[in-house]
This record gives sequence, structure tokens and C-alpha cells, in this order.
Amino acid sequence: MRHPTLAAALGVALVFPPLVAFDPYLLYLLGSAFLWAALASAWSLTAYAGQISFGHAAYFGAGAYASALLAQAAGWNPWLGVAGAALAGAAVAVPIGLATHRLRGAYLALATLAYAEGCRVLALNWTGLTGGGAGLIGIPPLPALPMGLPLELTRERAGGYYLALGLLLVALGVFAGLRRSPIGLAWAAIREREQRAQLLGVAPAPYKVLAFVCSGALTGIGGALYAHAVRFLEPDLAFSRGVSILPLVMATFGGVHTLLGPPAGAVLLYLGSELLLQPTLPRLHQLPYALALILVVLCLPRGLAGLARRE
Amino acid sequence: MSLTTLAQAVAAGLANGAFYAFLALSFAAILALTRALNLAHGELVILGGYVGYAASRAWGLPPLLLVPLAALALVPLGLVWQLLLARVREPVELNSLVLTFGLSLLLQNAMLGTWSADYRLLAAGPEAPAWLGLSPARAAAGIVGLGTIGLLQLLLTRTQWGAALRATSRDAETAALMGVNVDRVSAVGFAAAAAIAGAGGVLFAGFHYLHPAAGVELTLLGVTLAILGGVGRLTGLLWGGLLVGLAESLTLVWAGTRWRELVVAALLFGVLLVRSRGVGAGRGDH
Repeated sequence: MRHPTLAAALGVALVFPPLVAFDPYLLYLLGSAFLWAALASAWSLTAYAGQISFGHAAYFGAGAYASALLAQAAGWNPWLGVAGAALAGAAVAVPIGLATHRLRGAYLALATLAYAEGCRVLALNWTGLTGGGAGLIGIPPLPALPMGLPLELTRERAGGYYLALGLLLVALGVFAGLRRSPIGLAWAAIREREQRAQLLGVAPAPYKVLAFVCSGALTGIGGALYAHAVRFLEPDLAFSRGVSILPLVMATFGGVHTLLGPPAGAVLLYLGSELLLQPTLPRLHQLPYALALILVVLCLPRGLAGLARRE
Repeated sequence: MSLTTLAQAVAAGLANGAFYAFLALSFAAILALTRALNLAHGELVILGGYVGYAASRAWGLPPLLLVPLAALALVPLGLVWQLLLARVREPVELNSLVLTFGLSLLLQNAMLGTWSADYRLLAAGPEAPAWLGLSPARAAAGIVGLGTIGLLQLLLTRTQWGAALRATSRDAETAALMGVNVDRVSAVGFAAAAAIAGAGGVLFAGFHYLHPAAGVELTLLGVTLAILGGVGRLTGLLWGGLLVGLAESLTLVWAGTRWRELVVAALLFGVLLVRSRGVGAGRGDH
């Protein structure tokens, strides 16, 4: 970041809200906004490698169910369950990563959407494992981390707020780190000119699988945080189409291939809708939301980040 | 299971399947013309249904007139879609997803504001005696679907317009170099796609309830058939539709509603695995 003081001020502002005993509803909104921002960031990892995923609900749902079942049915410590969720998200992403070898562009988007729908239907029908449409109830919450922090900061809404913020920072850290590494350079090369990258000795397949695995693991953790916060899961929620489409929309709105564009787009769209549009236009709040998306896509092809760069 | 039940299931499956292919036509046409996944596909179909519903309420028009009326009413929207999608910049696949998602929300809310969230059914005329258990509305939808696909296949393969449209969809630049007026051909394609969506909406409303959010399932149907049938092949679309229709109705008879979605999902996976060369990348791309 070019403005260290600004970054420091932002950091303090982000750490602060739960300390001054914020309204629980506002904490919930902010936590949700950070979760969406983390999902948008995780999604943009695959986009950075040039792969359009339209089925991230598969990894989110897999992570949510893995963590919930490991904690509830297998009796693991929920924190270990979260680690399991990362593995589950990554594992579910492998087949799609391998399929990108054959599918590109719109066809990859179609196939990933079908994959996520297939996972939802599987969860709905595998009643022995998931409880099917009746859902899983009474998922244990995440226990407080033994770090000597006051309990008020690790429980309930405040805990959810910090966890979502933490996941967002991890996702940003992974993206920022990988972007400058040889892996990130290979991803960008594959995205811009796959054949040329191949000629230069970059085998695209393993890099594409890696992008899906990283993105799937982070998204799986997001699913786990959701499961332990809401403490109820059903296939239509965990594998909801919104989880497939919104990170894509938010990241593109904010500026795809940039570090801060996707989370900024997510926070702006989510909080704008919840705090501004829904109170003022309760019935038709999606109209201005839709118009904003259309205008940004048509007029700002680099998303909001394009505005920032022009200055 | 008696032979009658089986015959009825097959008849329902075939009629539904032909209609599915018809409903998915508009989605497949826009995908073939622009590489864009039209996420507002289902909303266009539902809007066509509402236009038919409003016209039948206001003027008491017979169902036979409602179909062409809704088709005509949606043509301007098809041209708007063409205009907007032409303005989308690279990466087209991603930006068009966001654009059409916005358009789908816009249409959903416009329909919610105009017709509210109530469920509405277009009365499909007097109940005629059912043939093989098919209601007249369902049979008509299947027949119109099959007829339209046959007619389009003839137009696409036997006329100059069809050749120009196929050439534009395969490689617009080369087509333009060969003297095809690409913009006009694409406009005709978009207008036809919207008209088919509108007509499909009226037929759909004859035996399904209309509500503003009903389009989501129809967009998914378009996605399913695009994967099963391959993009840009009418016959593939028809076979895909018939396969899904038959699989659904036979599963319904043998195993019950619960398994319907699972069977369709399994079909999709099977096709994705078998076509390892990639959807649409196989032989005879167009």
C-alpha cells in the first residue's frame, strides 16, 4: 500500500469496533461483509490464472459440511474441523482444476456451475451423511482461542467479526504473496497468452489445478466459518447459487486481477445493499443494485479499481 | 407397472423434452453468437409469459394469438441485449456474466413491481380430453417446440441467411471479410432468440405457474442443454432436451420425485466425462 498512515488508520479502525461494544447487528453486517470480501478474494485467485469459475458454491458447501460433520458427528475440536474444511474445499476443487485442461471460457463457467449444482443435489440425497433436506442442526460454535484474550472479543458476533476479518487478511496475504512469486507470474502468463506461456516452458495444467486448489481451500474455510457461526446447514444454503455468483460479481465490480478491488467491491456492494438500498427501497432494492452492476461493466471495464488507477 | 403408465411416461417425456429444447434455444443462440452466457435467459422467458398473461387479461385474446404477440413484444429487448453485449469488453465471458446477472435482477424486479410476487397461471383454453395423459397445453408446447426446431434447422442449412448466421457464429471476422453484414445477421439472430424466448414463455405459462423468480430454473435448463447438446448444434439441443425429458419422466415413474434432479445431474457428469475433448470443442462445432 502506498499510504502507510492510511493503512495504519484503516488497521486500527478494523480492529476497534468490537472493543467499543458495537451494536451486534452492525457487527454481524461487518462480519458478513468481510466474509464476502474473503470469498471474492479467494475467487479472484482462479480468475488471476485466467479461469472463470462459476461454481465456488461447491467448495464453500464442501467446507461447511466437512467442518460441521467433523465437529458434530466425529467429535473433533471445531478448529481441527476448520482445517479439514480447507482440505475438503481443496479436494473438491481438484476435479474441476483438472477439467480446465479441456474446458475454457464460457464452457468452463458452464461446467463449474453444473458441478456445484451436482454437489448440491448429492448433499440433498446423501441423507445418511448430510441429513439431506432436513439439514444439520446444533453445529457447535468455534471455541475461543486460548490466547489470553478477553472472552467478550472471541464469542458470538465479535468472534465472527474477527474470524471473517482474519480470513480476509489470509486470502489477501496469499494473493499478494503468490502474485509476486514465480507461480503468480506463470498464472498471469497463462491468462494472457496460454499458448505463448506453453512455448516458454510453462505447463499450464499444474498451475491451473494449483489456482483451483488454493481458491478452493480458502473458500472451504469460508464455508466452515459460516457453518459454525450460523450453526445450521442445509444443502440449498451451503451450496446456494448466490455463493457461486456473488463473489464473481463482486470481484468484477471491484476490479478483477487487482489485489484490493475484489474485497472493496464485495464490501461496497454488500453494505450498500444492506444499509442503504434495503431500508430505502424495501421491495425493489435490487433495482439500483442491478443498475450499478450494469453501468460499471459497461463504463468501467476494469471495475472500480480502474477509477483509482486513473487518478 | 402397466404398459399404459409406461406409454404415458414416454409421451410426457418426449413432449417435455421437445419443449425443453425449444426453451433452451434462445440461450444457445446467444451463446453461439457472442460467447456470452445469458443469465437473464429465464427472465426473458418469464417476461414473455407475463406479456401473454396481461394480453389475455386485457383483451381476452385466444392462446393461439398470445404466442406470436409475446414473441413480437420481446424482439426489441433482443436488440437491446445485442447492443449491450456488443459493448462488453474483454474478458467477454466474465463481463457478460456480470452484465446479464444485472439484467436478470433488473427484469425480476420490473416484473415484481408490475405483477407482484403472486403465482399466476395462463388459462390454456377449455380442457380438451387428454391424449395419453397429456394436457392440451403440454402437447401443444411439445409440438410447437419440435416444429420450430425443424423449421430453424431447414432455415439454417438451406438458406443464405442460415449460412450467413452460421458463419457469423463460427468466426465473425472471417464472415465479415467474406462480405457478410455481421451486425445485421447478429441482430436477426438476437431478435429471433428473444422472440423464441417470448413464445416459449406463453407456452410455459399454460402449464406452469408464473412468478418473477421462476426464470432461474429456466436459465439452469439452458445451461444443462448447452452442456448436453453442445453449442451451436440444433440437433444436439433437441437430443439433449429429449434425453432430459425422458430421463425425468421415467425416473418419476420408477423412483419418485426425489431422484429426478440426481438423475439429470448424473447425466451431466457422464456427458462432461465422456466428452473429454470439451463441450463444444468436439466434431462439427456448428
